[in-house]
Formats: sequence, structure tokens, C-alpha cells
Amino acid sequence: MSIERMEFVNIAGLTKDFDEVLIKLSECGCFHIESASKITGKEKGFKVLKEENPYTPVLKQLSEISSLTGVKYKNVSDEGIEMPEVPERYVGDVRKRLEEMADRKKAAKDKLTEYECALEQVNHLKGMNVDFQQLAACEFIKVRFGRLPVDSYSKLPYYEDKLFYFTYFTEETEYYWGVYFCPVSCADEIDEIFESLYFECMQISKFIHGTSDDAINELTALVQENKETVDKINEEMLELVNKAKPKLDAIFTRYKTQHDNFDLRTKAAVTNDKFLIVGFVPKNEADRFMKLFDSMSSVSVVMQPADVNGKLEPPIKLKNNKFTQPFSMFVEMYGLPSYNGINPTTFVAITYTLLFGIMFGDVGQGLVLAIAGALLWKFKKFALGPILTRVGISGAIFGLFYGSVFGFEELLDPVYEALGITFLPFKVMENVTTILVGAIALGVLIMFISILINIIIGIRNKKIEEALFGNNGIAGLVFFGSILVGAIGTLFGVKMFSVPYVLCLIILPLAAMFMREPLSYWVKGKKYHMESGLTDFIASNFFEVFEFLLGYATNTLSFVRIGGFVLSHASMMLVVMALADQVSTAAVPIVVIIGNIFVMGIEGLLVGIQTLRLEFYEIFSRFYSGDGKPFTPVKINYDENIE
Amino acid sequence: MDKNRRSYNATVAKIRAMYGKRLTPADYTELVNKRNVSDIADYLKKNTHYAQALDQIDTVNIHRGMLEDLLNRYIYELYRKITKFEHINKQEFYNYKILQAEIGVILSCIRHINAKSDEQITDIPIYIQDMLSIDMIEIAKVRTFEELLAFLRKTAYYDVLKNIEADNNGKVDFTMCEVKLRSYYLSRIEKSVQAWGKKEAEKLNSMILTDVDLINVVNSYRMKAYFGEDEKEIKKNMLPFYGRLSMEKQEWIYSASDEAEFINRFSKTYYGRQVAEWGRDMNDLDQNARLLRYRYAKLALKSAYSAPVSVYSFMFLMEVEIRNLISIIEGVRYGIPPKQIESLIIV
Repeated sequence: MSIERMEFVNIAGLTKDFDEVLIKLSECGCFHIESASKITGKEKGFKVLKEENPYTPVLKQLSEISSLTGVKYKNVSDEGIEMPEVPERYVGDVRKRLEEMADRKKAAKDKLTEYECALEQVNHLKGMNVDFQQLAACEFIKVRFGRLPVDSYSKLPYYEDKLFYFTYFTEETEYYWGVYFCPVSCADEIDEIFESLYFECMQISKFIHGTSDDAINELTALVQENKETVDKINEEMLELVNKAKPKLDAIFTRYKTQHDNFDLRTKAAVTNDKFLIVGFVPKNEADRFMKLFDSMSSVSVVMQPADVNGKLEPPIKLKNNKFTQPFSMFVEMYGLPSYNGINPTTFVAITYTLLFGIMFGDVGQGLVLAIAGALLWKFKKFALGPILTRVGISGAIFGLFYGSVFGFEELLDPVYEALGITFLPFKVMENVTTILVGAIALGVLIMFISILINIIIGIRNKKIEEALFGNNGIAGLVFFGSILVGAIGTLFGVKMFSVPYVLCLIILPLAAMFMREPLSYWVKGKKYHMESGLTDFIASNFFEVFEFLLGYATNTLSFVRIGGFVLSHASMMLVVMALADQVSTAAVPIVVIIGNIFVMGIEGLLVGIQTLRLEFYEIFSRFYSGDGKPFTPVKINYDENIE
Repeated sequence: MDKNRRSYNATVAKIRAMYGKRLTPADYTELVNKRNVSDIADYLKKNTHYAQALDQIDTVNIHRGMLEDLLNRYIYELYRKITKFEHINKQEFYNYKILQAEIGVILSCIRHINAKSDEQITDIPIYIQDMLSIDMIEIAKVRTFEELLAFLRKTAYYDVLKNIEADNNGKVDFTMCEVKLRSYYLSRIEKSVQAWGKKEAEKLNSMILTDVDLINVVNSYRMKAYFGEDEKEIKKNMLPFYGRLSMEKQEWIYSASDEAEFINRFSKTYYGRQVAEWGRDMNDLDQNARLLRYRYAKLALKSAYSAPVSVYSFMFLMEVEIRNLISIIEGVRYGIPPKQIESLIIV
């Protein structure tokens, strides 16, 4: 699969047609607009329009109505709706009335908060059958209710010679809720002490008339009363906005369309009576796009190859088929390819599905994952859903290969026996070495393919240094391949590392990587100048080549994890089965079900993440830069929030 | 295996994770623009790692002093958490925070004796009473230096202070007490550091002595600039420990004829050259010294693979963070413009 080819579009016309052209552009759904000033610069008398968007004030008011009431606008046409003569005034009126209600609501809410705070405080005094008014009226004793921080409470023994008594009713992590008594004659001194201890006095005299229980009842009634007031105002607000909603929807749709179209004007360049708009259209939409302007004789639309203008990088629209489409999410997550690059989605789709399936292999669990993915997509439009379906099926296929169904490793044995297939199932725990070696072999294959892709891209984009002499170029491929072939040959008793082999296939590519910069100049017929001296050149290239060598080793070993997860999946299910053996027969299904859910959850997550890690680090890093910009066709954004 | 030589990698990792939650410049910008102390407390509670310290606190009417106390308490909570994690609190070196706290309480007591104030109780960090060997309620009741010596009779601090006498007005030489107590602290630390491996001990010593160098420079500058003291008097009141600034170098700085010459001589030292490299105003000695200590600690934490270096540098960085917050709290409380408060923040 590839990258959608684009056409660079120039639209020029008379300013009288400007708005109509903009409407057509936002309706067509296939035009990616660019700033025309990037083409014109400051020449040719073109200028960029810098106008206040006249539709913003009304939309802001609509946005305020939305935030006051939580109402969401619908994108509707105004057909059949009796539109107000002056929509601005209508919206203003609704907003004004809502604001008045909101003010009343705020006042009621403030009171509610005050009563709730008081109630919370008085609750700490619950059960005190003392008349607080009588206490406050004591002639010789001062009484203060409130809370004292725990740290300050520890300091009270210091004041043992002072005339006061503090006691607490309730204890929290940071506060003691209580009361202190002191003689009126030394009240000032004691108050000062408690103030220095951060004692917070409760303003309860305002609320307490009688005992604490009386006060609690009184405050509970006040809280309830204010809650009802707030609810009532909320209802009034909703009633008002619901009544106005059809009109507000229509006004919003009309104004938002005009607002967003007006915003497009800033992308155009204009002279006295002409305008110029530039952008990109996918090649397969070009004809349909041209036809849009057939009826506008004064508007000229010119199509050119996408890369005709060096100032504007064509946007990227990935072309994928049904199988690979969901995996474009991973590619976009990393960054889109450049216009002349390669769309790696197919490669990702194949490798991700394959690697996940190998690691997750279990018929039952794979099918459950596939069904879960399909349901998540159908009901929640969860983007990972289709990926789960694909990798789940892959897991089920590899499960057939391993003979594993929900962790029962022998369940398929009779089937294979009946079919006369002797090489299956492939028992994971009996073939640990094969699994690990196979994992590395698969990794090497994927790395080779990645390097080959990089060579192709390098040649296509005339990046000789990368294609020929880079660690992911021909030199790297020869070096890495020769080491591997040599090692495998030696393992099988064939003497591979002869002098010519080492010199030509190992030392020479290494030297090419070391000298890749001067060599690339030489290939291009240019003269190379060492910018920072010979010592620096040797030092920096030595370390870079050393890093390449380390990279080959670590990247190869990184793929061992594939084998590791195959084994860990099988081991985890073995544990589940061992646990099931320990419990009574009735509990076996429960243990097996919970064990399967647990393993599917943990293993699914781990395998998903590890495969993505392999994609991004071991594969993408070899050929992919992800510096493209996305294709974003202009359209009206029906969002209530206005900047 | 020597207990001290164990790597305690988990502690190092834990500290790094905790340090990762430190306040960012964006947090400081938010904080300096708050309208009042309550808003600051609310921001800290809802958006930062101080949520742990303020979790049960009602931030609406919080008193400035209480917020500062809670932040200071948080330092010790972090300290407890770290040192209990792998039970390293049993090792001698990690007592340094307790020593610091005890010396702080004694110095506070002396300050109140000299001021004839009976309000020491408000300053004492009662929340660490369980860690200290001094009864803080009792020391707060001390009113004279003789009472203080009697109170400290059974502690190691008695020997440190016993030769100091109060004058006829009951006042004692505070600087002398401070030098003696801090010297005692440093010699204890120096000794406990030897228990570590050579490299760790060197690193720790270097960090501690860097702090001493800079404390000496700042204190001597104050003596020179505000009291016009001579080299002999300054030297008497400085800590007799030397890091990158050797004794000769420090004496050379103290002997400067005036404050301008003092700054000039400081600018030629290792630390001064660093400040010059950053392009900062050399005259802002207080802030420069704080910044130097902060950056050295940050560097030490970044490259630390051993628990003592990590703990020491992390605790220092957290103390700086708390000091930054206290500057902000006071700044906001007294209506100082945000820009001015920002200039006090070390980050």
C-alpha cells in the first residue's frame, strides 16, 4: 500500500466570488488548504487578509449559553424553523435571561455552601446537650468552639500554668474539634495563645440557637431549602434553553458555517479585486473537484504535480486496505511518512499480527480477544477494537499450531491424531531452544527486510550515504549478513571465516561505514572537506561505528522476547492448570475462567506493548523518520467552544 | 558484608522517582500569581506532590504560619519515608537530619534567651519530637543560658557549650554558639561518612564541604559588609572546615579591605568563576551561594548511584523547594509583585 498521490491546486478568481468559492471548498471534503502567502511572499501586490471575524461575537454568546446550561448544539438546517429577524438580538436575549438566572443560582449556592460548612462544624458538637446561648452568656467564663491542629495540641502541656481548659469532641487526622474555657479576666491572653496555635474559631453563634441538636436540625432544613432553590433555578434555565433550542441550533449551524468559512479567508492572498487560494487535493478526487467550479467562469482552477512547489510539502494521506487500515493508528502515533517515503502500514500490519499471534498463541483466548475487539468497535467505536480482532484471530491460528485451547494443551491432540498430522501440535514447553532460536531467526529476517526497505528509500530519494554506506544500507546489510552466515556455518562445522571472507565481507563493509561521509561525496563527484580535523573525524566515526555494532547485537537479541513471551504465556497457563488441580471439582471451572481472564489481560497487554516496542525501536528506527504532515481537508467544525 | 557497603539501589530509585515529582517552573509561575495564601495551599493540594502533606487540611482559611509548618513537617515525613524504606535509618550517617534539627532547636532557644522572649514554643518543630533526644516542651521553658546548660547536662551538646558564658545581661555570644554547634555537627558527620566506601565518602565530603565553603563566604560577607569586621574577627566566627576554598584562600577573601574587594576576590575563586559563567550579578552573593549549592546538589543527585549521596542531595533539594514556597507564601501574603517573588526562587 502506498501514500495517496496529491495534486497541487491554485484557485484564482475575482473577490466577488471569494465567499462562494470558500463555501464550495469547505463542502467538498477533499481540499487541504495552505497559506497562499507561502507562495506569493510579499511580491506581486498580494496581501493576506487580517479581518475580525464578524460571526465570533454571536458564537461566543452561544458558547456561553452552552457552558451555563450544558446544552450541546446540533448541526441542523434552518428549513422549517421560524428564524428570528435579528438572530444576534435573539441569542443576546436568551443569554441575558440565563445570566440573570445564573446570578440567582450563584447566590443560592453561596448560601448553601455557607450552611453546609456550618452544618459540618456543628456536627462535630453533636450530642452536646448544652444550650449554647446559655454558655455564651456566662458572666465569668469565655467559651470558644473550634478546631485545633494536631501539632498544636501537642504543645498544650507547655501552657500548663495558664488558666484555660481545652477538651475535644472529635478527632481527625489533622485537627481536634473541641472547645476551650477560660476566665473572662485573662481571655485576651488565652485567645492570643490559641491564635498562635492556629486554633480556628467556629462562628456558630450565628446558627446555634439552643442545643447542638437544635442547630443541626435548623441547618439541615436550611441546606435542604437552598438545594431546592438551586434545583428550581436549574429547571428554569433548562426550560428556557430547551424552548429556544431549535432556533439556537439553526443559528449556531448557520453562524458556525459562516464563521469557519470566513476564517479560511486568512489563508488566501488577495489583491485589489482578485484572490488566490492554494492547497492540495488527492489525485483521485481531482476531476470531481474541478467540476465544482465549472459553473464559475471567472474562477480559474489549475492543477499541478504535488511537488511542483518546493515551498510547500504535500500533505500525507495513507492509502490502506481493509486489513491494514486499523494499524495506521500506530503509524500515525509515530509520525506520518514523508511524501516520497514509504507507507509502512502494511509492513506493520503483517509483522504486528504475526508477532502478536506467535506470542499470544491460544485458540480459545485468541477467539475471545477477536470477539471482544469486534464488540468494542461496534458499540464503542474503540480504535483498538479492529486491531484486537485481527491479532486475536492470529493468536487463535498460532494456538492451533501450539495445540492450546484456554490453556488445555492436550485438547487438540486427538484431532491431530485423527487427521494423521504427526508434526502438530508443536509443544512449546518441550521445544524451548527451538522457540528461542526461531524468535531470533524471525527477528533477523524482519531486520533484513527493514534494511532493504531503507536501501530502496535511500536510492529513491538519492540519499547515497544512507543507501550504500550506512549501518542500514548495503554496507550494513553485507556486514550483518556475513557475520550471521559465518556464525551459523561455524556452528555447523563449516569453516567460514577465511581471510578473504573476513576482509571482503566484514572488514570492507565496516570500513565503508567508517568512511561513509567521504565516500558519499566521492560517489557524487564532490570534494570532501574535514570540518573539524582528522582526530575528531576518527574519534566520532569510531564511536558511531561502535554504536552500530552494539545496535546489531542488541537489536537481534531484542527479538528473543518473542520466544520469551511464548514461554511465559504457556507457563502462566500451566500455573492456572496446576491451581485448578488443587481445588475441588466444583471450583475448577471458576479457577480456569478467572485464570484465563487474568492471563489474557496481563499477557494481552504485555504482548501488545512489546510488539509495538519492536515495531518502533527495531523496525521503524531502520528506515522511517515520521516527519510528514497529515492531510486535513477543510470542513466546518461544529464545536461549541469558540476561541 | 558491611551493612553500609550495601548498594540500597531501591532507595536510590525511590528518591529519583520522588524527585521526578518536584515542582516545575510552570508550578512556580502559577503559585507566584496566586491572590492569597489559601489559593497557594489549594494549588499545592490539588496539583503537586504536596497533596500528601495537605490531604486532610482545609485550605480555605489556612493560616500562613500553619501552612509553613506543614511544609516543614513534610520534609521530615519525606526523610522518614526514605530512610525507613530499606531501614537505613539505623545507620549513623542518616542521623544528620536529627542532629541538624536538635542544633536548630538549641540555637532557637539561645536566640530567644538573648531576646528575652518566652515564645520559643511557637517555633519548635513539635512534630519530630519522637525523633529527637531533647524534650522540646521542656527546652521551650528555658529562660536563661544556665538553665539551658543544666537542661543539656546529659547530652553531648553540654560539652560543646559548657565553656561559653552569658554576660551580665544574660546574653550569650550567639555566633560562637553556632560555630561550636555546627563544628560539632560537621565533625560527627565527617566521622560517620568514613563508614562508606572511598568514592562515596569523597563525594559526600565534597558535598558537605561545598556547603560549608559557601556558608562561610556568605556569613563572612555579612560581617564585612554590615559590621566592617576585620579578618581576625571574621575567621574566629567561621566554621573551621574547608572544601574547594582552602584555609589560605578563605583568609585571603576575609582580608579584603571592603565589601567591593570581597566580591572581587570571591569572583576569582572556583565558585566565583561559576557564577560569572552563568552571567549573574556577582554582588547578589546570598542568592548566588544558594544557587551554587542547589545546582551542585542537583548534579550530585543526577549522577548518584549510592543511597547516602542521593539522600543528602535530595533532602537538600527538597529543603530548597520548601524555602522557595515559603518565599512565595510570604511574598503573596505581603503583596510583593510576582516578578520580584520569582527572583527569589531557586530553580
